Amino acid sequence: MKKRRTKKNCESSGESQVSELLILPDGQILVHNLTPAFAGLLHELNPDDEHISSRSSRRNEVKADVTRPPLLRSGAASHLSPHL
Amino acid sequence: MICAAQERRSPARREEVGVQSRNVRDGSESTPKREFQHAGSETAAPRSVLARERARIARAMLADCRFCAHDCRVNRLAGENGLCHAGAEARFFSAQIEVSDELELIPTFAAALSGCDLRCDFCITGASSWNPRAGTGFDPHAMAAKARVALQGSARTIMVLGGEPTIHLPVALEFVSLLPETARLIWKTNAHGSAQAHELLDGMFDVWLADFKFGNDACAQRLAKTPDYLRGVKDNLLWADDHSELIVRHLLMPGHVECCWQPVAEWLAANLPGVKVNLRSGFWPAWQAARHAELRRTVSGPESARAVDLAQRLGLNLIS
Repeated sequence: MKKRRTKKNCESSGESQVSELLILPDGQILVHNLTPAFAGLLHELNPDDEHISSRSSRRNEVKADVTRPPLLRSGAASHLSPHL
Repeated sequence: MICAAQERRSPARREEVGVQSRNVRDGSESTPKREFQHAGSETAAPRSVLARERARIARAMLADCRFCAHDCRVNRLAGENGLCHAGAEARFFSAQIEVSDELELIPTFAAALSGCDLRCDFCITGASSWNPRAGTGFDPHAMAAKARVALQGSARTIMVLGGEPTIHLPVALEFVSLLPETARLIWKTNAHGSAQAHELLDGMFDVWLADFKFGNDACAQRLAKTPDYLRGVKDNLLWADDHSELIVRHLLMPGHVECCWQPVAEWLAANLPGVKVNLRSGFWPAWQAARHAELRRTVSGPESARAVDLAQRLGLNLIS
């Protein structure tokens, strides 16, 4: 399992936003503190994942910067992890 | 108006709860927010005004801190620390718009205060939640300005969380006092607050988003170093259901379906029928989870399926 901490500058304020994700060996991705921008990115990587699509659709339109091949394996699900 | 939460209560529950909270300031019976926002009422007081008054009271109460069920009674104004180790000043470690919470609440502007009164070894924000000195000083005015900007943008709600925000009631209430009256406010809590905290919080938040983490006191003691957990969390949930909209969260833990989720689910079905329940299966072995063999992995597919099946058999109102 690999834990990644991602930072992305908020386009409107210039302040950093943080999401954390955990990539499991089976290709599932768990996400904590999902920001709208990161939800958009994940949605573009796996448009069929309903967990993400239901959340990315509620975001403000922030264009995801997708410049790399998809990280998600085909058919892999992503699940959201809660605040604790 | 009789709200849905009140309609759900059974007569037995009313006796069990016995809640007649008093206004902290004048001793009168407190009123749910829905009512004291009614225009034209002589007793109506804007939330911001009440929050400002209660923030001052809460600040004074730091001299004998009883905000959470640990009931430490330390003088935080004089530098004494209770089990949460929080002083008089609050700090925060995250403030941003997020979409990982319940669909009906997102996007939410979530402000996370440092420090907590529980010691969950699996806490996904353990470094900041266990350390009230983590992060940046919480300036309610600056944070309220950020929140207002968020509301003008995509945010539908404002969420105050931690760590555990209950240990920082003075600044949390001051923050509320600076927010628009119409803002939909979420209190994200571990449901380990005290009766004193409830009096201060009565009517301040539209939704209580409350964790019910453990189904028995032994697991709570072993995994979160918290004694007498069940009594406190049940009191909190019943109170919150009577005074606000309530959403109960349970983070499914690997190896804890039968010992934790099952009794939680059964209690919710019996005592809070119809309450919204978010069963979260995205556990990951964070912070010091590896101290416990069963928490060194994520939740398996069969465990998750078993948990959902139980919820459905009990008729829980699951939301996502």
